[in-house]
Amino acid sequence: MTDFSNAMLVFWKDWREMRRNYQVIAPILFVPLIFAVILPSIIFFVPTMFGIPESSFQIIGPIFQSLPPEIREMVATLGVQQQMLYIFGLYFFAPFFLIIPLMASSVLASDSFAGEKDRKTLEALLATPLSDGELLLGKILVSFIPAMAVTVLSFAMYCVVIDLAAMPLFNGAVLLPNLLWTELIFLVTPTVALAGIGVTVIVSFKVKGYREAQQLSAILLIPVLAVIFAEISGLIIFGPLMILILGVGFAALDLIVFKIGIALFNREELLMKGI
Amino acid sequence: MLAVKTEGLTRKFDGFTAVNALSFEVGEGEIFGLLGPNGAGKTTTVRMLSCIISPTSGMATVAGHDIRSDPTGVRRSVGILTENPSLYERLTALENLEFFAQAYGIKESRQRAERIRELLEFFRLWDRKDDKVTVFSKGMKQKLAIARALVHNPPVLFLDEPTAGLDPEAAKLIRDMVTEMSGKERRTILICTHRLEDAERVCTKVMIIKRGAGVVIGSPDELRLRMAGRPRIEVRVKGDGESFADLVRRIPSVIGVDVINGRILVTSKNPEEAAPEVVRALVNGGAMVLSVNETLPSLEEAYLRLIKEDA
Ligand SMILES: Nc1ncnc2c1ncn2[C@@H]1O[C@H](COP(=O)(O)OP(=O)(O)O)[C@@H](O)[C@H]1O
Ligand SMILES: [Mg+2]
Repeated sequence: MTDFSNAMLVFWKDWREMRRNYQVIAPILFVPLIFAVILPSIIFFVPTMFGIPESSFQIIGPIFQSLPPEIREMVATLGVQQQMLYIFGLYFFAPFFLIIPLMASSVLASDSFAGEKDRKTLEALLATPLSDGELLLGKILVSFIPAMAVTVLSFAMYCVVIDLAAMPLFNGAVLLPNLLWTELIFLVTPTVALAGIGVTVIVSFKVKGYREAQQLSAILLIPVLAVIFAEISGLIIFGPLMILILGVGFAALDLIVFKIGIALFNREELLMKGI
Repeated sequence: MLAVKTEGLTRKFDGFTAVNALSFEVGEGEIFGLLGPNGAGKTTTVRMLSCIISPTSGMATVAGHDIRSDPTGVRRSVGILTENPSLYERLTALENLEFFAQAYGIKESRQRAERIRELLEFFRLWDRKDDKVTVFSKGMKQKLAIARALVHNPPVLFLDEPTAGLDPEAAKLIRDMVTEMSGKERRTILICTHRLEDAERVCTKVMIIKRGAGVVIGSPDELRLRMAGRPRIEVRVKGDGESFADLVRRIPSVIGVDVINGRILVTSKNPEEAAPEVVRALVNGGAMVLSVNETLPSLEEAYLRLIKEDA
């Protein structure tokens, strides 16, 4: 019933359209650039030139307190600049890397599902003999693969930024990638991207088009922002436990939203609802 | 075999009946027109016939496939020009056709390329094949969308408002192309239109629908006869027509005689014999007959009257 080559046909068609659409390309390039390059660069390179602002200590204070004891001891022996880089670079920024796959996958899925509604191209597509499974799989893949590519690429750029900043401070030691971050990027972010897609698929049945789908699927930012605040306030620290909680939590969410999405998926509903 | 057959086809939207127990048959190779004002249920009907939406009740077969039990069979045998051209505007003309050719299962790339080239050349779009659809005019989009509907060479073609929104020249071009195409390849075509002109010029059979139900069905000529009344005979005589009109009025089968611009217009109970009878009476009465024409009354007036009628 589901012919993989037909799903890939849908994948390439959607991808051709998306890469020519600045509404899609702009956010999935700029948001990662901000979180992976611009923000870290400001934090790590500006202080070396102008000194460290007081407020940074307030931010890392609670994080420092909740570090595992052996790491806290190690960090305590470092100089101020090294401490800043270590805590901001290896701990503070981690949950921001959940925003990247989430945002990218939901932008891509909104365009693929709800965007076809906007542009009124759905009817001819649904008239083809492509099966529901082929359409759904193709559109999920075109949301997932570029979202993961962007995430991995941002991680690579982030590693370069961190290591460049660390080089003079840590005698050329390479801080990233480490095991924890690798687990975050390759085990946790895929489940986050899938949750973004699943929620967007469900939402696409109710909305008129891309913009609305985007706005509604932003509810997934809530758990991610909660994690960010929990970390800043010292409630939880980026570590194996957080990886486990996030991974299991998002995997469970994936199961639920995909079950609903697949049950809801009906060509006619997609075409008629919300128009 | 019938290309399309429907029986009691019905579609409701939240209690509102858009298509109401529609039954009709379209023979193979026919160009069938579904004619009706906006909101009559034409689009809903072809959407059901192409398995884009499902009927509330009733049945239909398309190219021998049941729309309920064999939607994939129906989709494979049908090409559809949807109400919106439904083209990917960020893709080029060629990319659009490539995608749909593959989606309709044409696996072999040479076969695809040949078919696409043939269609783009037929619709005079070949030199624009690498342009994105966004830059196309409305008429070009419409032609490309028809080409897309034909890409898998389907035995049954649905055209939903093929001339809507086009200027008269582009509309005529589309009509001519549909006629030319149907002459070249044997294909059943079902055209939805609210323009009488489309139905009259292109279709071999027309069904007028109103509020989701069929009102009349027949060839354009039959509809003209049935809806607009009898044909009239127009006779031009030398001299003043009025002075000979009484000769015609005396013929028993003649119902009405008018003289307009010196021409005598005759309505008769039996149109087949009217012309010879009228000519005989005029000649016997000393008139010099210059020409005799049979004219059919305007279908347009009759159509407008029909769709305006309430009930
Ligand atoms: N998805 C829908 N939901 C509710 N009403 C609809 C829907 N689609 C069509 N209709 C209604 O059904 C009627 C027939 O519409 P349509 O088939 O588009 O007519 P036509 O193509 O002849 O103009 C219209 O009154 C229209 O408002
Ligand atoms: Mg319509």
